[in-house]
Amino acid sequence: MSLAPPPIAAHEVSKEFRRLRRRVVALDEVTLQVERGEAFGLLGPNGAGKTTLVKVLLGLSRPTRGVVRLRGVCPTRPGARCKVGYLPEGHRFPAYHTGASALRFFGRLAGVDEKTLARRTAELLELVGLGERADDRIGRYSKGMTQRLGLAAALLDDPDLLFLDEPTDGVDPVGRRHIRSVLLAARARGVTIFINSHLLSEVERTCGRVAILRAGRVVREGSVEALTQPRLRFRLRLDDSHAEPLPLVPGVSVAARNGHFEADATDLHAVNRLLDELRRQGRLVAELSPLRSDLEEVFVSLLGEEGPATGPAPAAGHGGGS
Amino acid sequence: MKTWALITDTWREAFARFTFLGFAIASTLFLLTLAFALNLDIVDGSLAAASLLGKEFVLPEGGPPIDQVVVRGQAVFAGMLYGLGIFLAVFATGSLVPNLVKRGTVDLYLTRPISRTQVLLGRFAGGVTLVIANLAYLCGGVVAVVTLKTGVWNPRFLLAGGVILLVFLSFLGLMFLVGVLSGSTPLSIMVPYGLYVISLPLAAHERLAAVMDSRLAAGVVHTLYWVLPKTAELGRDMVRLVLAEGSLDPIAAATTAAFGAICLTFALIVFNRKNY
Repeated sequence: MSLAPPPIAAHEVSKEFRRLRRRVVALDEVTLQVERGEAFGLLGPNGAGKTTLVKVLLGLSRPTRGVVRLRGVCPTRPGARCKVGYLPEGHRFPAYHTGASALRFFGRLAGVDEKTLARRTAELLELVGLGERADDRIGRYSKGMTQRLGLAAALLDDPDLLFLDEPTDGVDPVGRRHIRSVLLAARARGVTIFINSHLLSEVERTCGRVAILRAGRVVREGSVEALTQPRLRFRLRLDDSHAEPLPLVPGVSVAARNGHFEADATDLHAVNRLLDELRRQGRLVAELSPLRSDLEEVFVSLLGEEGPATGPAPAAGHGGGS
Repeated sequence: MKTWALITDTWREAFARFTFLGFAIASTLFLLTLAFALNLDIVDGSLAAASLLGKEFVLPEGGPPIDQVVVRGQAVFAGMLYGLGIFLAVFATGSLVPNLVKRGTVDLYLTRPISRTQVLLGRFAGGVTLVIANLAYLCGGVVAVVTLKTGVWNPRFLLAGGVILLVFLSFLGLMFLVGVLSGSTPLSIMVPYGLYVISLPLAAHERLAAVMDSRLAAGVVHTLYWVLPKTAELGRDMVRLVLAEGSLDPIAAATTAAFGAICLTFALIVFNRKNY
């Protein structure tokens, strides 16, 4: 068993802001740990405290209470941020830089030597599809291009820990796919990834484990697999051209969708009764597959249980999550 | 290498935002005016005639020795440069911190393995080198033009650049503090200008305090005098330096430098503690 400290650890972290005379709780005793090589997704509605948590984890903001460690070191210490990549939400590179000069500059701040920097700059710009625009001023980049440049900057230091705050924000579907492939490649190399996003499908495709934050509190945490566990709901497709309805079977309710059916069953016996009936009628079953909840369903149902989130909760009378 | 990267980045920003160009153009205009608008006619080491912007001044035979005229003229230029140089330098560097602490930009700097102190001091060093280069151009240019036109070499004029730099450094510390606290470029520029205006009459603090109607008001005047940069005294001493008639008042120089150092220290403390 490895004794190395986890890449990310937060223990009972709270963050409060004072606005005029009002105390606002942005984070409320958040505890989480991300293991080496893991891709972790932080989900939550707008104003849940996701970006505040990322900033606290990176030492940009200090927690009011609690302890944060990056590989066992306080993140406010410069050394703790070695080999840490960060793509901030709504980042603004100085517009007077070109894509290449921005990477070289931030690479120098990260302490990357000139030889490595020259190689990494060219490699990364190609990787994110900006090779041909390397010498263009950033002021002329589209939002999607700026976002991809941000990803390249985050990968400059060849990080083993990567924080991404809304990585596909403002990016078109092709660009999203590109970014996702870069992240999956990083994950395959063993890079620990922490993604903060409200795009649930992106997190679902990239992360193995997620936490859902609401009003500054972690209200659910677990593997994507566990959160989206199969239910007794099935997708059923028949190999016949007739648009005949399915037979009525006790314990099964069926809804027709585009070219297939979705069946909700009370138990597995009911499903098998449906199959027996179909075979008795001589109809061929082409597909029967369990339907999983997607993260969006989990998220919406969870927030539905909790009530709508309206941003960081005031400390006085703070209702919080579950 | 990190500090060097921050210095060169400040220069890149100054070029891209035309602040360096503006600084250079204003300085060049001053030098060109000096080169072409001022004509001196020297006969036997004495000034026989002079013209400024086309207007001729004929001096009686046996006018003042040219080296004396040059030194006096340089003292006048030094006085002009004192105000102009500080004005330009403050204007050129007022956005250094506000541009750094912009939301979305500051995160990119502070999440690198570099201390906040080093980031801010690197930016400070960038601003200082920028102003040193411009002052060297301006003051060196004045000495070069005057030497070429008169053949009189008075390097003491270069000391004026040093005094302007001292006062500017003091204001730069203040600008960094205002920038870190407010993130506002207009405020970072206006506060030192305001301070400059306030500090000038404080040279007569004894007389000002004497006409105050309460001891509290008189105390405030004295306190302001001792706390704020001594711009009037240093301007006067700078002219004396060029004329070789005196030296800098060490207390005025030290308190001015201390003001800048204290402001910069507070700026560093606030920058290190601030949540971004």
